Amino acid sequence: MAAKDEHYAIETFSLTKIFPDWWGRAKVIAVDGLDLKIRYNEIYGLLGPNGSGKTTTLKVLLSLLRPTKGRAVVLGGETRDTKISAQIGYLPEESYLYKYLSARETLDFYGRIFGLAAKVRKSRIDTLLEMVGLAGMANRPVGTFSKGMTRRIGLAQALINDPELLILDEPTSGMDPVSTRQMKDLFLQLARRGKTILLCSHLLADVEDVCDRIGILYGGRMRVEGDVKSLLQHSDEKQIHTGPISNDVLGQIERLVRAEQAKYEVSSPMDKLEDFFIRTVTEAQEQKLPTSGAVSTGEIGGFLAEGEQTSNILDRLVSAPVARESESQPGSAETAEPEPAVAEADQDTDLLEQLTKSSTIPDRRDITTATEPVETVVDDQEDVNRDVLEKLTGGTERQDTSIDKSGPDQPGEDKDA
Amino acid sequence: MHSVWAVAKNTLAQAIRMKVAVIIIILLVILLPLMSVIMVGDGTLLGKLQTFVSYGLSLTGLLLCLLTITVSTFTLTNDIRQMQLHLVVTKPIKRFEILCGKLLGVVILDILLLSVFASVIYCLTLLIPRLSKAGADELAGAGREFFTARVSLSADVDEDKIDMLAKQAYEKLERSRQLPESMTKEQILSELRGRERTQAQAVEPGAQRVWEFENVRLADPNEMLFVRYKYEVSVDPPDYRVYGTWLIGDYRQIQYGLGDWESPVARIERSELIRQFHEFEVSAEVVASDGYLALIFANNPYLNMTTIIPQEVQVLLKTGSFTGNYIRAVLLILARLIFLATLGISVSTWLSFPVAVLICAVAFFVGTINGFVLESLGVLDQTPNIIYNLTLRPILWLMPRLDGRFNPTHYMISAEVLSWRFLGQVYLMMVFVKSVFLLIFGIWIFSNREIAKVVV
Repeated sequence: MAAKDEHYAIETFSLTKIFPDWWGRAKVIAVDGLDLKIRYNEIYGLLGPNGSGKTTTLKVLLSLLRPTKGRAVVLGGETRDTKISAQIGYLPEESYLYKYLSARETLDFYGRIFGLAAKVRKSRIDTLLEMVGLAGMANRPVGTFSKGMTRRIGLAQALINDPELLILDEPTSGMDPVSTRQMKDLFLQLARRGKTILLCSHLLADVEDVCDRIGILYGGRMRVEGDVKSLLQHSDEKQIHTGPISNDVLGQIERLVRAEQAKYEVSSPMDKLEDFFIRTVTEAQEQKLPTSGAVSTGEIGGFLAEGEQTSNILDRLVSAPVARESESQPGSAETAEPEPAVAEADQDTDLLEQLTKSSTIPDRRDITTATEPVETVVDDQEDVNRDVLEKLTGGTERQDTSIDKSGPDQPGEDKDA
Repeated sequence: MHSVWAVAKNTLAQAIRMKVAVIIIILLVILLPLMSVIMVGDGTLLGKLQTFVSYGLSLTGLLLCLLTITVSTFTLTNDIRQMQLHLVVTKPIKRFEILCGKLLGVVILDILLLSVFASVIYCLTLLIPRLSKAGADELAGAGREFFTARVSLSADVDEDKIDMLAKQAYEKLERSRQLPESMTKEQILSELRGRERTQAQAVEPGAQRVWEFENVRLADPNEMLFVRYKYEVSVDPPDYRVYGTWLIGDYRQIQYGLGDWESPVARIERSELIRQFHEFEVSAEVVASDGYLALIFANNPYLNMTTIIPQEVQVLLKTGSFTGNYIRAVLLILARLIFLATLGISVSTWLSFPVAVLICAVAFFVGTINGFVLESLGVLDQTPNIIYNLTLRPILWLMPRLDGRFNPTHYMISAEVLSWRFLGQVYLMMVFVKSVFLLIFGIWIFSNREIAKVVV
C-alpha cells in the first residue's frame, strides 16, 4: 500500500488555521505553523489547554477545515480522498451520531458507507456491540444513551472499518473508571496490532498510560513534543520498592543514603482510588448484580484481533509480530526520536504484553488482573509525572521551564519556546 | 452507490420521525375521506366528482410540497448544525454522494406518500358513483365527461393579423398625437394588441363568429365529441346569463351552399351563466370526412342585449382512459416535488434552515402564479433591459411552472388528456434541466464548503 511506503502516518507542514470574522478579517489563530509528525504504529497524545488548537488540528487533518497555510498529509494523502478516509476511524469530542438511530442502526449506517458486505457488516456490528458492552441495548436509540454509553457507540463506529489510523478526541470523557481502563487497554492492544492512534485528551493520566509520545499545544503552537518517559523521568532521583522489611534494614538504608547526602523519604504504598473502584465494581459484576448500564466484555473485537478473519492490510499488520514496524525499518533512525534505554524498551514490551492479555481471557477478574501492571508501573512515578505535566500545561513561565528540560531531546522545540 | 443508498435510508428514517411529516400524514388520512363525503360541488354527481378530485389532488399536492420543502431543507442544515455531518464526511463518501443520498431519500418519501394518497383519492373517486343516488343519466354523464380522457383542440388566433391591427391603431394614435405620454411604445402596443384580440373574439348582437378545426380524427365514429367554452360579456346582463346559439358541423356546406350536405350540422341553443365553463356534446357525425369541423356562435339580438366574447373555446375528443390520465396527473405532481426537493437540498448547502425554507416557499408560491408573472413581464422580454435580462429573467426561468397547463387538477376537472409527450416535456425541463442545474450548483457549493467552519 502506498501509505505504508511513507514514513509517517500523519505529517503536517507549517500547518496554520486562522478563523476569520464575518468580514473575512483574521480574528483567531487556532493553529500556528504546526509541524506534526506521527509515525506508523504509534500512540501519540496531543495535549493542551482549552482553545490550544487540538480539535482544530484534528479537523484540518480530517478535512473538516481547510488549512489557511501549510498542508497536512495523512496516510500518504489527503483525507478527502476516499481511499485514505476508508482507513481512518474518528471518534469526535461530542456525540455526532444520529439520535433517532439505534446502536445497531448507527453501526449499520457507517458500515454501509464503508461498503462492507452485509454478512461482514452484521458480524462486525455484533462483535463491536459486544466489545463496547452495548449488546443488550443494541436496539435502543442513541439519543437515550448516557454520555459514557454514547462514547462507547462512538468508539464502535470508529472501529467498524478496522481502521489503520484512529483519531480520538477525548475518548474517555464521560466514561466510568472501569470503562476507561478497558478503553485504554483496547488502545494499547490496537497499537500492538499495528494501528496508529492519535489521541486528544484533557485526562493526563489516560494519555500518560497509553501514549508513546506526546505533544503539548499552546496558542496553536507546539510547545513540547517527545517520548513520554524521557519527558517525565527524573534521572537525578531514584525509587526503591521492597517487600516487608524491618526497621533495622530501613535504618541501614537511610544511613547509606545519608552518606551520599541525598534526600531520603520512606512511605507505604497506597492503592489508587481507580484500582479500588475497579475492584469493587468487578466484584459486583461477578455476583451478576442487576444494572441498566453498559457491561463490556473487555475483549477486543474478533475482526480487530484475529488476522485470519479478514484479509486487508490492517489485519496483516495485526497478525504481524508485535515489534513496531517503523522502529525496525531501515533508515527510520534518521528521523526517529531518541530511543530509550534497551532495558526500558524491554520493560515496555513486557508491560504491553501483560496489558493486552485481557483480550484472550474472557473472565472479568482476569481482565482486571491483566491491567494491574499499568497501575504498578505508573504508580512509581505518578506524583512526579503529574507535576511535570501540570507544569507543562500550567502557564507560560512554567512551560518555558519544561521546554528547557526537554531541550536535548527536542532540538526543534527551542524555536517554539 | 452503497454510500448514496445508506444516506438515503437514513434521510428517510429522519424524515418520517419529523413531526411535520406525521401531522401532514394524519391530516391527509382524515381530510381525504371526509372531503369525499362532505363535498357536493354543484349538486350533481359530475360536480361532486370534479370537486373532490380537484380539491383532493390540490390538497395532497400542496401538503406534500410543503413537506418536501421542510424535509429537504431540514435534513442537511440539521446535520450540519447538530454536527452529524462532521462525522459522516470523515468516512469514505464524496460530498456529492451525500447530497444525492439526501435527495434520493426525500424523493423516495415523496413517492411513497404520493402513491398512498393518490391511491386513496383514486379509490374514493371510483367509490363515489357507487355510493351516490344518481340516476342512470347522471352516471352516464359522469362516465362521458369525467371518467375519460379527452384531447383538446383549440382554434389558433391569428396573431399576425392582431399585430398588424395593433400597429395600425398605434400609427393612427401617433398621427392624431393622442399617444399617452406616461406609457412606452411597447406598453401601448401591448395594450392595443389585447384590445384587438378581444375585439376579434367579440360577437356583437346579431353577429356570429366561426372557429375552424382541421384533422379532427376520432377513433370511433360513433363516439361523441364535446365543445367547451366560457362567456365574457361587455355589459353584465341582470341575471348574469346569455343565450348562445351554436352550429357545429362542416361550415363550408353552409358557406358555399353545396347542394345536399354530406354531414349533418348540429344546432345547440342554451342559456348559460357568464364567466363559467360550459360543455355540450354532439355526435361525431358532424365532422366532415376530411376531418374538417367548424363551430359557429351566433349572438341572437332578440335574446341578448350585450356583446358576448366566447373564450377558451375547445373541441374535446375521447382519446384515453381516466386511470391513465390520473396516473399522469399524479406524475405531474411528482415532478414538482422532485424540483422542490432539489431546490431545498441545493439552497441548504449554503443557507440556514429558516432562510432555505423561505426561499423554497417563495419559489413554490411564485411557481403557482408564474404564468401570470411571466405574462405581466412579457413586455420586458422584448426590450434590451440588461438588469432584467441578467437578474429577474433567469430567476423566473428557474422558477417552477405550477399553474395553468402545469396544474394536474386542470386536466382532471375537464377530463382533458394529459399527454405523455407533455409530461415528458415537463420532466425534461423541470427535472432534467432545472433540477439538475440546481443540484450541480448545490454540489459545487457543498464540495467547496468547510463543514466545520467557524466565523468569530
